[in-house]
Amino acid sequence: MTRYVMVVDESRCIGCQSCTVACRTWNQLPMDIIYNPVVSEGVKGTFPNVYRSWTPTQCMHCANPECVPCCPTGASQQDPDGTVWVDYSKCMGCKVCVNACPYGMRDVSHMVPRFDQYVRKCTFCRDRRKQDPSAEPYCVATCHQRARVFGDLDDPNSEVSKLIGTNKTERIFTELGTDPQIYYIPEMGGGAR
Amino acid sequence: MKHHYWEAPIVLYLFLGGLGGGIFFLSMVFDLIVAPGSGPLFFAPVFFALAALALGCFFLVFELGQPPVFWRVFTTKTAIIKWGAVLLSFAMIFGFVWWLSYLYLLGWGEWTLGLASALEGARPVLLGIAGVCGFGIMVYTGVMLSTLKAHAFWATPALPVLFTISALSTACAAIALSLGGAVEAGGFGLVVEELIHGIVHVVDVVLVIAEIVVLLIMVLSFYGAGNVTARAVAVRWVRGRTAPLFWGGMIGAGLVLPLLLYIFGEGTAASALVAPILVLCGGLLLRYLCVYSDERAPIPGEERFYARLPKKDAEFLTAWKQGENRY
Amino acid sequence: MGNEIDIHAPGVEMRKSLCYFCHANCGVLSYVKDGQVIKIEGDPNYANQGGLCCRGNSALLHLTHPGRINHALKRVGKKGEGKWEKIPYDQAIEEIAERLNQIKAESGAEAVATAGGTTRTDDWARRRFMNQFGSPNGFHNALLCWIPTFMAETCVAGWSPFETDLGSAKVVMLWGMNPGASSLGAMRGYTDLQKNGMKIMVVDPRYSETASKADLWLPLRPGSDSALALAMLHTIIFEGLYDRAFVNDWCQDFDQLREHMKQYTPDWAAPLTWLTPQQIRNAARMYAGNKPGCIQWGCTWDQLGTASTTTSLTLALMRAVCGNLDVPGGDGMPGPALNFLTDEEMEANECLPEEQKAKQIGSDKFKLTSWPGYTLISDNAKRTWGKTLPAEWFCEAHGPSVFKAIITGDPYQVRALIVNATNPVNSYGDAKMTLEALKQCEFLVTVEYWMTPTALLSDYVLPAAGALERPTIVTHYGATDSFLGGKRAIQPLYDRHTDMTFWRKLGLACGQDPAMWPWETEEEAYYHILKPLGLPISCYDEFVDKFRMYYPPLHQNKFVTNGGFWTPSGKVECNSTILQELGYPGMPTYMGCSENEVDDPEVAEKYPLVLTTGGGFMPYHHSEHFQMPSIRYLYPDPYFTINPVKADELKIAEGDWCWIETRRGRIKMRANVQAELDPRVVYVPRGWWFPERDGSADLDNPFGCLESNTNVLTSVDVEDCDPMGGSWANRGLLCRVYKCTDSDCTFRAADAQWSIPGSSSEPGVTVMPSQQKLAREPIPFTMPEMEPAPEGFYRVWQSGELYQEGTHFRLDPTGWVINPRTKGYHDAYTGWRYDPATELLVDDETGKSYTMDREEVVYRGGVRCYPGQEAPFEVPEQLTWNQVDGFAQLPGKPYVYDPASGWLVDPDTGDFHEAYYGWLYDAATGNLVDEATGTRYDMGYNPIVEEETQAEATGDAMEEEGGAQ
Repeated sequence: MTRYVMVVDESRCIGCQSCTVACRTWNQLPMDIIYNPVVSEGVKGTFPNVYRSWTPTQCMHCANPECVPCCPTGASQQDPDGTVWVDYSKCMGCKVCVNACPYGMRDVSHMVPRFDQYVRKCTFCRDRRKQDPSAEPYCVATCHQRARVFGDLDDPNSEVSKLIGTNKTERIFTELGTDPQIYYIPEMGGGAR
Repeated sequence: MKHHYWEAPIVLYLFLGGLGGGIFFLSMVFDLIVAPGSGPLFFAPVFFALAALALGCFFLVFELGQPPVFWRVFTTKTAIIKWGAVLLSFAMIFGFVWWLSYLYLLGWGEWTLGLASALEGARPVLLGIAGVCGFGIMVYTGVMLSTLKAHAFWATPALPVLFTISALSTACAAIALSLGGAVEAGGFGLVVEELIHGIVHVVDVVLVIAEIVVLLIMVLSFYGAGNVTARAVAVRWVRGRTAPLFWGGMIGAGLVLPLLLYIFGEGTAASALVAPILVLCGGLLLRYLCVYSDERAPIPGEERFYARLPKKDAEFLTAWKQGENRY
Repeated sequence: MGNEIDIHAPGVEMRKSLCYFCHANCGVLSYVKDGQVIKIEGDPNYANQGGLCCRGNSALLHLTHPGRINHALKRVGKKGEGKWEKIPYDQAIEEIAERLNQIKAESGAEAVATAGGTTRTDDWARRRFMNQFGSPNGFHNALLCWIPTFMAETCVAGWSPFETDLGSAKVVMLWGMNPGASSLGAMRGYTDLQKNGMKIMVVDPRYSETASKADLWLPLRPGSDSALALAMLHTIIFEGLYDRAFVNDWCQDFDQLREHMKQYTPDWAAPLTWLTPQQIRNAARMYAGNKPGCIQWGCTWDQLGTASTTTSLTLALMRAVCGNLDVPGGDGMPGPALNFLTDEEMEANECLPEEQKAKQIGSDKFKLTSWPGYTLISDNAKRTWGKTLPAEWFCEAHGPSVFKAIITGDPYQVRALIVNATNPVNSYGDAKMTLEALKQCEFLVTVEYWMTPTALLSDYVLPAAGALERPTIVTHYGATDSFLGGKRAIQPLYDRHTDMTFWRKLGLACGQDPAMWPWETEEEAYYHILKPLGLPISCYDEFVDKFRMYYPPLHQNKFVTNGGFWTPSGKVECNSTILQELGYPGMPTYMGCSENEVDDPEVAEKYPLVLTTGGGFMPYHHSEHFQMPSIRYLYPDPYFTINPVKADELKIAEGDWCWIETRRGRIKMRANVQAELDPRVVYVPRGWWFPERDGSADLDNPFGCLESNTNVLTSVDVEDCDPMGGSWANRGLLCRVYKCTDSDCTFRAADAQWSIPGSSSEPGVTVMPSQQKLAREPIPFTMPEMEPAPEGFYRVWQSGELYQEGTHFRLDPTGWVINPRTKGYHDAYTGWRYDPATELLVDDETGKSYTMDREEVVYRGGVRCYPGQEAPFEVPEQLTWNQVDGFAQLPGKPYVYDPASGWLVDPDTGDFHEAYYGWLYDAATGNLVDEATGTRYDMGYNPIVEEETQAEATGDAMEEEGGAQ
């Protein structure tokens, strides 16, 4: 089996938002749709004893997604490889999945014609992988810092498996039982500490 | 983290759906159990129920991103929304046919009588199905929100209870306002109507009290012991920006005041007219307050990210139009 | 719907391009179908390893943005009114050329100036035009970006040691540099190496993206870099942390330096830098104690105003005395490109007369980076490397002084300005004065992508081809020996033209010699540049496809093989003789930044906060990309940063609009309340303007170009500029910050009134630029008495060596002159090269050879002849010596005997003949042929029987048939 996951190394991320813009342009998204915001709480602490980190977010492609069973049309679905995606030809834009996602990673655009709105979200670049099975999601390919790593968790030799195996990783909102599949290697406070 | 993916149409839909469902359910209870034969009296309330559901459905479909393909809602088996849609459809279809069977009350001529005689035997079944579906609708509106556990303020069992009580309460109010409409009742009919009015009155008093209790329990328990997100909403309700609406509008004007009018103004227009209208407004306000309490726990830093994004009407978003080259 | 564009579909061609949005020039793969770029992605096989930033990823949107200028625009309304007529490109060029020629005829060529911004490529074309036109007044933002540093470093060691060899380094010092927000590819390298143990030191007042990953962060007072650098060098010298062996062998005047540095103790620097002496010492120990280490150049060095070159000079010496120059793991000195053409060789600098060079504006003051300093440095480079650095960038007019000259006519009236690839209002200092200059400029031409404030005020706006529409090469301002290239994905859209095409067309229209502009396209020019490499390519695109990059064999420790550094003395000059000759201190001598609380306490009283500006930030680059909605959406408003403690004190909350005010004006920005800097400091990002607005609506502030523009706050006054390099003051200025109130929240013209010198209280010109004093008086330099040089030679005072005029070859005591590039000996009179293999002199221009008596050597069929001489070799007995023509021959045959091979050569055909009978050697069969009879012989002189050959031939044919069956 194949289980696609992403490992995000926060110790490498410098918050440039290249992945955010890259995703918007590659997927030709309307202006108000952002699949993968890079968020940060800003600088913590008191000058000069300070600390900061960035969290590149995106759809967590949960093993137990909230957004799939709630969909009344079956548009919101999950591939056997774990990819959660929306079939636009089935979506009617009821936004129940948008409300269901605990990570806020789905939305309809308000900058398209009012009655042509469907739910969009990160697809782990399903289209790229369909065209070329070895392709990585574009946010991964475009990251100068290699902060994002994509791969098959079921393959013990994959880079993601090794990273998860050798690093302490964290996931977001595991308490909701969604079993998110984006693994974060936390920033431990810069090289200085 | 607040996005308001659902807005006013959903508020109206949840209110109207609950109201319509409640009327069907109560109509069934009265016509089939409490006061058999009181069907004609419910001709007008069921009409309003149908209108409410139809309008609710309109708002629901209007709120869709792609209204022309609303029928896709029926394409899966499991989703709660799908069940809501099925219940709505059944309630409306069976309720409508039941209502047709009493169309003769309007004196529209021979064919209405024919319709009535043809459907007479099926009336209990029709109303039974519509009533059961109506009950389902009342419950489902709350259940749907409460299963969206991303929103801490919704994800509580108290919410479906509250919505159900509110639906019944507003249905009582609507019935109180419209019972017997279109029927020139006399004699026994008048007695039944009085009886039903009495029961509805008492039931609504009980429901309003129950609603106050459930609402306060829900909000105050979130206020005292909710998680960060839910508590933040509760704080907003109890002593924040929405406190005037909550205490003054919802609790005061929507529940306590009609309760007092029901109890102390019995027999007056205040009890018969003003109080039910207030209850209806209170029901709408409850949906409004709840739907707009869709706060989600933010990923740390997320709020800062979204706070910096431009307003939807920022000049640079509209200054250039693709394809219209300037120079 | 989703992404339906399939880059793997048939008919899609992948073209290797380079990004064109900053000078990192990352590799880009463009997918082209039917002449349209359908997708781009980062090139995984290039230095960026597939990475692209926000800007690079937006290239397609940039290409087709509706705000792009697509046609030549001629102003038809009043200046700035925004009324344009679209005219054909060539017509615009003709009209512009006519006007330029008219101005040249009336006021001299120097009345025409040109402004550029940051480097991309092909700036040699601009210089080639200007040199032929005769104007010395071209300029860029060079002085804020590397050039003064490069010149100071070259004074110390002979070239800028800018190519860090990080792979073997133990420590890297990132000083005033934030790759985490400005050069992401580099940041990845730092991160990878840091994970492998390299230490990263960051010197930055801000807890920048890079600082947040650093091993050591030195949050100094903005602008106090010179004090910190001096105190670190003091520590390194007096704690004995320097490389003694290197200093002994390779450094000149180190003792003088040590004596001079005594005063700059960490205790002296602590109050200036706001660091503790211990922090300074630790930093010095960390750098010097982890050898080899690198110091990466940072923009800050060149943006400190008065203290700029002092800082870079100190740092140049710091890495030198630590022995980190040009060693593995240290800072590599590439030198000029010796194997392909340098930018300088493309510039045609010989076309600019000396008297025009002397008219270069600012060259009387800021000598290091204009013709006086460039001439010293460049001549020295020619003497040491054999090639030199480009004049473009490294030898330019002082931009702000040109703008002032447009307004004041001081030193003379500049009447025309060609603006190419810059929006000076936002990118040059003192924006309000610059804007006024653009308004007052008699004839303004702008070559642009966008309708910038500058374009709006222009008489002609010409459309520029940008990313994907032009091939791109990377040679680091033409100052390195490597070459990277990318193809264009498509030809320019609409009537857009590349910069080189613009300058070429303009040059030809101005009447310049077509022979001087032989290349119609960049590809032709680049091929010309690359040809000397001798690669198996027939055009530029083939270079990209087959090679993409050229790196010379890595040669470190070149100073050892070279026998010295590339300075006049051949050593690292701790007391630079070139700087002394220019009238500057040869050793770093402390100077505070342009405004500071120590030197200007009365200013600090009114403006208590320290302002730092000019830092790069994602996703913008300089003043670019504010039009790109997908980028702007993520960063829609200008934010300045202030510490929460100070924000509290000033009652400023996150997101509040605030005024930031210096003595020169005020701007408004929103507050980013973050503990990333000292409470006494505010950080203001650069570049902001609002292209979405109607520019003509408010000509006091077109496109909001002053409203949130940090350069309203900066100073270009002569006394605020670096007295050596001329860079103006961006960092460490004094300011105050206060919240916008309801009654005071709109930007008005009075908030940014123009003035010379910069002052918000005295508008207009109050002191003429030529009356303004430099921050440091020049130190008179007297050339030491020297023995006069013989005619045709000149003497270098530092070494006393004689060099040949013109070639800059050194005169050896043997009487030969030596070519520094090849180390080859040349004849001093003729310039002919001595070829040790043939022991002849070779004229490389004609390819002819000469004897040591300078007599031409005659060759026949490639065999050297000795006309009129006796045979210099033993002539075989069957041959006769032809005394007249000087070769041995078979009697009656014209063939020339080659003593090296023993064969006869037919000088007409080049065919070989054997030396007994003169039979022709048939290389195809390996036979000898008697041409008279047609008889064939094998090499043993045995005749070959005809039948056999036929039989063989038949056999072959049959075999072939068999094979075919």
